[in-house]
Amino acid sequence: MEEEGALSEFEFLRNVTIGQYLPTGSAVHQLDPRAKLAMVVLFLAGVVISTSLAGLVVALAAVLAGLALARIPLRYALQGVRPALPFLILLALLQVFTIPQNDVGTVLWKWWLLTVTVTDLVAAALTLLRFVVLILGLSLFSFSTNTTELTHGTEHLLRPLQRLGLPAHEFALAMTIAVRFVPLLALEAERIAKAQASRGADFGHGRGSFVQRTLRMLPLLVPLFVTALRRADTLVMAMEARCYTGGKGRTHLIHLHARRADAFALLVVLLLVTLLLTATWLKVDARIWSWIL
Amino acid sequence: MTKEALVNTTTRKIVVAGVMGAISILLGATHWGFIPWFAGAALTIMHVPVIIGAVLEGPLVGLVIGLIFGAFSLIQGAIAPTGPSDVWFVNPLISILPRLFIGPVAWLVYRALEKLNRVLALVVAGVAGSLTNTVLVLGMIGLMGHLPWALIGTIAVTNGLPEAVVAAIITLAVVAAWLGIQRGRRGSRLG
Repeated sequence: MEEEGALSEFEFLRNVTIGQYLPTGSAVHQLDPRAKLAMVVLFLAGVVISTSLAGLVVALAAVLAGLALARIPLRYALQGVRPALPFLILLALLQVFTIPQNDVGTVLWKWWLLTVTVTDLVAAALTLLRFVVLILGLSLFSFSTNTTELTHGTEHLLRPLQRLGLPAHEFALAMTIAVRFVPLLALEAERIAKAQASRGADFGHGRGSFVQRTLRMLPLLVPLFVTALRRADTLVMAMEARCYTGGKGRTHLIHLHARRADAFALLVVLLLVTLLLTATWLKVDARIWSWIL
Repeated sequence: MTKEALVNTTTRKIVVAGVMGAISILLGATHWGFIPWFAGAALTIMHVPVIIGAVLEGPLVGLVIGLIFGAFSLIQGAIAPTGPSDVWFVNPLISILPRLFIGPVAWLVYRALEKLNRVLALVVAGVAGSLTNTVLVLGMIGLMGHLPWALIGTIAVTNGLPEAVVAAIITLAVVAAWLGIQRGRRGSRLG
């Protein structure tokens, strides 16, 4: 155990899980990345704004349907929820016990300063459900869209901004480079950490003021930044050697074509978001409660 | 250097923005981006690549790195929060908007002081960029009503000020090492 812990300190890649792609070739995977990007942004916005429990249950059902349609194993998708779960439960508990303005309505349980009301439980359920839906929604997007598609999609969606003189192509390229460089720099970081540890460096453990701790991190951080900048230099030279001249007049190998399925999927998400917002504004939850009770 | 003369500056800016964005993501995804402090609190250095990128390549590059940093903290807040407060960062008004200003502010400060003294300019740019992050992010958290203003003031002082010092140290060390500025014999010693 001890040894495993000591070694895992150097394995940075294990922690970098964003942007995983699961190529199952499903209908969801074949959707236009522009449509998918627009869908995920709309959906996330709708889920963040909505405060309707009923609406969020519908959204959860929609995400689960989407995962099934994308042929992604549910257990795999739920793995993304697991690391966040302790914090979500903590947050939900905090909402139940600490926020006093929730303490209106039917009191279910009371002991000393702690009161649990129906409002508390609903607020906690909302928090939990919202984040599960957000995480599953983002996972569905990353599982079904690869980096190239994401870059092309972003570039296309930002094209209107290009008319205003904003560098859409350049921005999309910078984003792709960032995503592609993370695993590369993670390997580099691992090598630097091992090299410095073999020279007797001890970072992050010892005592001392925060300034001393920062100075102790410098043997890691300075080489990491300098290597990254050096790699950047190499990449610039390689791009120049291949006559890269920026976005102007550039043609693409992959052309994006919107199809009927894309329009249909976008429409479904728009309907869903409208439903989420109307459920919030019309206070559908209160009506459902009074109906059940 | 003749090498620099050949290189298209736009290509350079794109690549440096991407690579610094990658470092910011890496620092966030590993424990490197957090310097442990007392009472379990940690000082973050995830915004330092934004400052360094802005100082080296200009305000637009700083803006783009800030955007990448912000987008990553949004995704991290949703996918793998490391604490209850991370969850607030799912809101782009907290996670993305404030981060866009770090780079431009750091660059302005650096440009203003560069002629005077380069080392001083780097230190002040690090402090200014870091304080921009602290003040704007905490300000947005306050506006959203997640925390009472009195507590926000305390956090700004107890976390924001040390973070500014840390950012200044790292900015100076990295940029000096990269540009080869003489700064005495205080190289990267091991603790």
